[in-house]
Amino acid sequence: MALRTTISQRKRIKRKAPRGFLKRIFKRRKPHLRLERSCDLLVHLNCLLFIRRLAEESRTNACKNKCGIIKDQHVLAAAKVILKKSRG
Amino acid sequence: MADSYISDNEPTTRTLLRRVLDTEDSRTPRRRQSTRAGAQRTLLETPFSMMLRSQTKTAARRHSYRRRSSGRLAHIKTSGYLKEQTPRTLLENILQTAPESSMVMPEPVVKPVPAPQVVQSPSQESSQGSLELQLPELKPPTSLAPSLLASGKRKQSLRLSAFQQGMDQELLLSQGPFTEPQGNATATSFTSSLNLTFATPFLPQSVQRPGLARRPPTRRPVDVGAFLKDVQDSVALALPGDSLKSPVATLPPDTVLEDTQPFSQPLTGHSPSVHHSLSCPPVSTERIVSSRTRSRRPGLQNNRKAEEVDALAMEFPNTGNSISGEDGLEPLQDGVDKEVEKTVQEILDLSEVKEAAGAQRSTRAEEPGRDTKVIEADGSWGATEAKEPKGSSQLDMDTTGRAGSSELASSTPEFLQARQLELLEPAPPTSTAVQQSIPGPSLSSEPLLARLPPRTRTTGPRLRQDPYKTGLSHYAKLFSFYAKMPVEKKALEMVEKCLDKYFQHLCDDLDIFSAHAGRKTVRLEDLELLMRRQGLVTDQVSLHVLVEQHLPLEYRQLLIPCAFSGNTVFPVQ
Repeated sequence: MALRTTISQRKRIKRKAPRGFLKRIFKRRKPHLRLERSCDLLVHLNCLLFIRRLAEESRTNACKNKCGIIKDQHVLAAAKVILKKSRG
Repeated sequence: MADSYISDNEPTTRTLLRRVLDTEDSRTPRRRQSTRAGAQRTLLETPFSMMLRSQTKTAARRHSYRRRSSGRLAHIKTSGYLKEQTPRTLLENILQTAPESSMVMPEPVVKPVPAPQVVQSPSQESSQGSLELQLPELKPPTSLAPSLLASGKRKQSLRLSAFQQGMDQELLLSQGPFTEPQGNATATSFTSSLNLTFATPFLPQSVQRPGLARRPPTRRPVDVGAFLKDVQDSVALALPGDSLKSPVATLPPDTVLEDTQPFSQPLTGHSPSVHHSLSCPPVSTERIVSSRTRSRRPGLQNNRKAEEVDALAMEFPNTGNSISGEDGLEPLQDGVDKEVEKTVQEILDLSEVKEAAGAQRSTRAEEPGRDTKVIEADGSWGATEAKEPKGSSQLDMDTTGRAGSSELASSTPEFLQARQLELLEPAPPTSTAVQQSIPGPSLSSEPLLARLPPRTRTTGPRLRQDPYKTGLSHYAKLFSFYAKMPVEKKALEMVEKCLDKYFQHLCDDLDIFSAHAGRKTVRLEDLELLMRRQGLVTDQVSLHVLVEQHLPLEYRQLLIPCAFSGNTVFPVQ
C-alpha cells in the first residue's frame, strides 16, 4: 500500500518548505519550463544548503574581523565566494 | 512472666496493641484474606494471653495452632507460616515472639502511652510493616556511643509519639533474645538507632518542620481600583505611538471614579442573578430579558457609562478571565455584564451593517472618534467571546459579531467615514486601544489586512513584491539561525539580495540541464546533477543522505523511494 502524499497525523511540520513560493518563482522566470512533482522540495533543499554555507562563511568572516555581529560586508564577501561555488 | 503484666492496670503497649488488634477491623487490602484474618483474630483472642505468657516461640505457635485447628477454619493452620505480610500479621508476630519481659526502659518512657494509641492504630499497623522492613537493615549499623544513645533516648522519649515509644519497647523485646549477649547497652543502642531511623520516616514533616507543611494559598482581596489603573496603564503602554495617548490619560481616572459608583446601586437588584448567570446559562436568558426591559438608550450619560463599562468589560474578559472568580471583581463584572447585555440588545436591534461598521472600526485603532455602539459592540464581543456562551442570544451575538468582522475585508473605508459622521460623542480613544487588544485572535490579523488596502491603493507591483519578499525573508530567518550569531538587519537584506541572485542562477542552470537532456520539464536527476556540480553531492555524500539530514520526515517520504507491502514502491520510479 502506497503512502499518502498528505500528512495525516502530524499536521504541523517544522520548517515547512514554501512550495508555492518556489514554484511561483520558477514559473515567473522560466514560464516555458515545468517543474516535476517533488522537484521543488529538492530546490528547497538546495536553498537550505546554500544558506547554510553562506551563513557559515559569513560567520567565519565576522570572526576573522573579531566582530560579534555579522555585518553586511561580511555577508557580501561570503556571498561572492559561495555564489561562485554554487554556480554549477 | 508476662502474667503480672497482663493483669497490670497500667496500660502497657502490649495490652493496648492487643486491644487494637482485637477491636480494629483488619485493614488489609486483600479481601480474600480478611475473613481469615478476622477468624484468626477471634481465634487468637484467647490464645493471645496464653501465648504472651509463654516465652518460647514454639509454645506460642503451638497454642495458636491448637486454637486455629480447633476453630472453624482448619486450613488456617497451614497458613500460619504462609501468612501474608500484612501489618496486622507482622504485629501479631511481634506480639507472639517478643517476650513479655519487663522493660529495661525507664518508667517515664512507658508512661505516656495514653488513648492516642488506639487512634494511631491504623498508622501503627501501617508502620509496623515498614518497621519490620527496617529491622533487617538496621541490624548492622549500631555503632553509637552508649552515652549518646542514652541521652538521645531520653530526648527521643520526650519527642517521639507515645506509640513509637511503645514500639521501641516492642523492638527491644523482639531484639532482646538476639542482642542479649551484646548487653543492654547495645540493646538500647539498637532501639535507639532504630528509634532514630524509625522516627524520620514516620514523623510527618510538619511536626518536625512546620514550615514545610502545605499551607492553603492565601488569597488577597483584589484592589479593583488599582487593578483597573494597572490595566489601563498597560493597555496604554501596549499601544504606543497612537494619537490616542493623550486621551488615554483621561480615561483611567474616569473609569476609576465611575466604575464603582454606577454599578453599586443598580446592581443590587441584579447582582445575584447576574452573578449566577456567570455560571448558569439558563439564567442568562432571564438577564437578557431583564436587560431588555430596561431602557435602551436612556441618554448620553448612560452611554458614557456604558462606554467605560464596556472598556472595562473588554479588559476584564481578556485580562481578568483567569481571575474572574475573584470576589473583588465580581460585582464589577456583574455590572459590566449588565451593561454589556444592554449593549448586546442595542446592537441586536441595530442593523447588521452597523455592526459590521462597528466591527470595522473596532479593529481599526486609528480613528479618534468612536461611536458608543462600536464600543458596545466590542464590549459585547469581548465579553461574550471571553466568557462561555451563555445563551442562544449571546451565541447569535457572537456569530453576528464574527460575521460582521468577516465583512471587514469587503467593507470599504467610506462606510467608515459615514459612521464617523454619525458619532454621537467623542469616545475616549483608550476604548479603541482597548478594543484593539480585545478582539480575539480571529480578529487580530484582520486589522492588518483591513488597514493595508485603504492606505496604499497600489495593487499590481505591491502584490508581487510582498510575497516575494516574504518568501525571501523566510530564508533569511534561516540564515540567522544557521549563523548562530547575531545578524544585523542590513546583513539580512544583503542575504535576501544574494538569495535573489542565487535563484536566478538556479533557474538558469536547471533550464540548461533539462534542455541538455532534451526535456521541457525539470526532473529530479537535473537537480541532482546541479547539486553534484555545486559540490554538495559527492561520492561520499549522496543525495539521499542530504535529504535525510536536512528535510523533515514528510518530505523525505516523498523523495526517497521506499518499498512498501504489496510489492509496491513509493514514490513510483
